[in-house]
Amino acid sequence: MWLPILGLLLGIGIGSTLAIPIPGIFAKYLSVALLAALDSVFGGLKSIIEDKFDGAVLLTGFFTNALLAALLAFLGDRLGVDLYMAAVFVFGVRIFQNLATIRREMLANWMQKRRLSAQGANKDG
Amino acid sequence: MDNVKKWRTPVLIVFLLLGILISVQFHAQQIFRSDLSLQSTDDLTLILKGLQDKRTNLEKELQNLEQQQQALNNDTTNGASLVNNLTKESNQLKIALGLIPVKGPGVTVTIPPGSSIVYLDLIDIVNELWASQAEAISINDQRVTAWTIIYWNKEKMTITVNGADVTFPCTIKAIGNPDTLESGLQLLGGVLDNLAVYKIYPTVQQSSELNLPGSSPPVFHYLQPVPAAQ
Repeated sequence: MWLPILGLLLGIGIGSTLAIPIPGIFAKYLSVALLAALDSVFGGLKSIIEDKFDGAVLLTGFFTNALLAALLAFLGDRLGVDLYMAAVFVFGVRIFQNLATIRREMLANWMQKRRLSAQGANKDG
Repeated sequence: MDNVKKWRTPVLIVFLLLGILISVQFHAQQIFRSDLSLQSTDDLTLILKGLQDKRTNLEKELQNLEQQQQALNNDTTNGASLVNNLTKESNQLKIALGLIPVKGPGVTVTIPPGSSIVYLDLIDIVNELWASQAEAISINDQRVTAWTIIYWNKEKMTITVNGADVTFPCTIKAIGNPDTLESGLQLLGGVLDNLAVYKIYPTVQQSSELNLPGSSPPVFHYLQPVPAAQ
């Protein structure tokens, strides 16, 4: 359970020790890629909770989403279309949707557990 | 348990990468924020305005400080000129009192040895010199001042000036206009004429520069200035 959080902290540590310099122009694309990655992560968490998890889907989704988002934003800048905005909008909406689903599922799970324990207690009593 | 094993590795990888991505993006954003060329125009305007305000304030401060410096400089100059004036005044007073050595053109009266001169004759000569607008007088290197005593010492049988014996030849130096001084002395029926009656023939010599010594300052125990009447 704590492994993902440990992985996250380790990643942050590696990232700050490496301190990879990113040119100012690419910071924008990196932010879109980060948004896509966040979307994938929340999608993965959602699938774990819904018991529909597939490691291959998560990994491919993570990389392709991030790369494509950055690439599309870059292409959009070249073409004079603000695809960057579209990516931010779409991924933002999806992140919130995923979060909402996760919240609802967790709440449902919790309620169910409580009901079960209450029933168990009643049976015992 | 089996469920956890299934998702553990991919999620770990994904979270690791997400962590790296977040920190890299964080760093990039820090740099991005501090880069002026990527700031919005509004922000730049605000920054510019702030800097201009700061500059104006600093300029005001600079002006204030410069004014202060000017004031202090003026004070110093005033103080220096005051000191200068006081020094000048004090010097003039000292000259007037005969406390410091002075030099200038004038005449030297030499009374040859063996003259049957009395102290009153010396006083006559000094008075005549004062009357001829002498500015300073000395007798044998004793400066004649307001508290000079010229009298006949009976025990020593000599004339004394300021308590010092007058030796002959006696030289009386006076600073002033040499012509005026000499003409004053040589006046018909004047002091030299009177001395000639007693067969005393002092010589008078004009000089372009005479050096007169200063006298020691007087000691006052009882004197006090009277405040000026209003």
